[in-house]
Amino acid sequence: MLKFVNYIIELLPAMIIGVSMTLKIFLITLLLSIPFGIVLALLRNSRIKIVSKTVGLYIWIMRGTPLMLQIVFIFFGLPVVNISLDRFLAVILAFVLNYGAYFGEIFRAGINSIDKGQYEAAQVLGFSEYETFKRIILPQTIKRILPALTNEVITLIKDTSLVYIVGLGELLRAGKIASNRDVSLIPLLLVGVIYLILTGTLTVIFDKLESKQNYYE
Amino acid sequence: MLLQVKNIKKKFNGKEILKGIDFSMKEGEIKTIIGPSGAGKTTIIRIINSLEKLDNGNIIVGNEYLYQDQNGKILESKDKTLKRKIGLVFQDYNLFPHMTVLENIIESPVNILGGEKSFVIEKAREILKKLRLYSKENMYPYELSGGEMQRVAIARAIILEPLLICLDEPTSALDPENIGEIQQIIKDLSETGIGILVISHDMNFARKISDEILFLDNGKIIETLNKKNQFKNNNLRVKNFIN
Amino acid sequence: MKKVKVFLLMILGVLLVITGCSNENIGEDSLDISKLIMGMDDTFAPMGFRDKQGEIIGFDVDLAKEVFKRMDVDYELQAIDWSMKETELSSKNIDMIWNGYSITDKRKEKVNFSQAYLENKQIIVTLSDTNIFEKEDLNGKKVAVQNGSSTLEAINKEPEIVETFENGEPILFDTNHEAFLDLEAGRSDVVVADEVLARYYIKQKNADDYRVLEEDFGKEEYGIGFRKEDEELLEKVNKVLDDMREDGTYDSIYQKWFN
Repeated sequence: MLKFVNYIIELLPAMIIGVSMTLKIFLITLLLSIPFGIVLALLRNSRIKIVSKTVGLYIWIMRGTPLMLQIVFIFFGLPVVNISLDRFLAVILAFVLNYGAYFGEIFRAGINSIDKGQYEAAQVLGFSEYETFKRIILPQTIKRILPALTNEVITLIKDTSLVYIVGLGELLRAGKIASNRDVSLIPLLLVGVIYLILTGTLTVIFDKLESKQNYYE
Repeated sequence: MLLQVKNIKKKFNGKEILKGIDFSMKEGEIKTIIGPSGAGKTTIIRIINSLEKLDNGNIIVGNEYLYQDQNGKILESKDKTLKRKIGLVFQDYNLFPHMTVLENIIESPVNILGGEKSFVIEKAREILKKLRLYSKENMYPYELSGGEMQRVAIARAIILEPLLICLDEPTSALDPENIGEIQQIIKDLSETGIGILVISHDMNFARKISDEILFLDNGKIIETLNKKNQFKNNNLRVKNFIN
Repeated sequence: MKKVKVFLLMILGVLLVITGCSNENIGEDSLDISKLIMGMDDTFAPMGFRDKQGEIIGFDVDLAKEVFKRMDVDYELQAIDWSMKETELSSKNIDMIWNGYSITDKRKEKVNFSQAYLENKQIIVTLSDTNIFEKEDLNGKKVAVQNGSSTLEAINKEPEIVETFENGEPILFDTNHEAFLDLEAGRSDVVVADEVLARYYIKQKNADDYRVLEEDFGKEEYGIGFRKEDEELLEKVNKVLDDMREDGTYDSIYQKWFN
């Protein structure tokens, strides 16, 4: 037992390095793709047909192809047209483009579920379109989409493992390295536990956010 | 005159909903537009409140054109304060569910129009007191009864100090007890000089509150009934509707 | 609405900056030899992997460090995914593939190989309590192999034997490790793998539990893969490797990892 605990402790430094990469990708993606998603949702709802159609096509492509493929395309494919990105930037770009599309559709569904009367009430009270969106529509949208958002965010933290394809050392890769080195499955078990801690923490945070939103119905 | 509506026309999908509407509102006047559903009642107040565009006609608020018809082209006033001189209480109130009663009322004057918050709150509380909502200021809309929500919607409109308030079907969701209350509120408001334009299909209610009743059918005002001659009317279609 | 548009422009701007300012790698005609990027799969014990502190170590790594030191060049160890190794090389993200990279005819079409610096066999491993002793005994057996490996290429050179496997084909796994786990679970009967990797694995476990058959699926050699056009670099590395063999440095590194 002591041996086991010692082994886990030995594994930790490498795991922490892996987790920090995982969290870095996760946080930066979240920070950029949520606002990007909101913009996409608004453009998708645009009255200008060409704009909404283009965004629709974009979302179709992003949701219709594997994220892995998009990472490979951005990192290995773009150099063909003389756009060569650093590994980390390529991964962030792929994640933001992809998750922006998913968040965009979630936000769009949320925005469209808000009663038209809310827009009209705001208009009559002198709100501009932007103020209406910011002060009236968005707060109500967020409450409605939080459960869907939670799912997506948890998927995101697990999807960060896809970056192994460009050689970035995140948590799962750290586990694989230790597993191959020590010829043992314990590192992978530890990786699983760490993922559970991460997703568990996220679940708690989002539950808190949700109950905070429950002050009205 | 608070409001002059001149020859308003409106088509939806080629179908003419309003075929030339004329009327005006004086200070403290209570006017009800009544008529069967589909007659275009709601379209009139939606146009007055800029929620729909008009195809033809003029709307004058005070002595300024809100919409001016220049050979079929509608010019909109650049004066943004003009629209706010007309208030609207929606049929289903459209309160902001994520805000308390007080927040609903002060949101526009404080955060949109930039009024001084403590001053606006004080004013809001006075209005709430008058509307017997004083103890409700920290409640959310879902905690209120229909009548209370309606009064919050009225408070939200009048804090902007409009010349005129429109009420869309104010009695449709109320029980009889609350109907008496809204009658009183409308009367009280009109005594402060605000003009009140009511949309209704309830002739009894209209008779009790109105100075004048406009009977709308098929996009036209076909009869104007006056309080002075006790809303007497000889129009057969109006008679049919009332009975 | 205006602010939304401004925000949108900002995002576009950020994307443009991201894409715009990372064009450095483009348009180099000849390789700048003063700084080399060595591509390796850092999960590949014992050739190149990470120790518990996260440092990249291994036989290949020690060898490479010595080579680079003698060439007096800066170097960087870049972790890559093994399935992407040739793409990484051709898109110039790395300057060489050096990580237990077996010399095969197919790979020769895409890359230039250095001299062979280590011999390797495709060995057949089974559990010590089975009655599998020679290739013939593989008849009807389940054979586990790493997908995309040179092992797969090697066994396919003996199709008459592959035909006798259960289902007429090997079972493919992502890693050797998984192939061995399947063997230990009793689902596969044998594993065919690079000797270097397999012996490392067996050594970490209990060597008595396994039997390595005397027959094998052929010898092969590890080499360093370069882009076809980087011949000058290739020659320099070959020269240094020759020197290291002569003065015994190679042997001492070999001893450190394989004895």
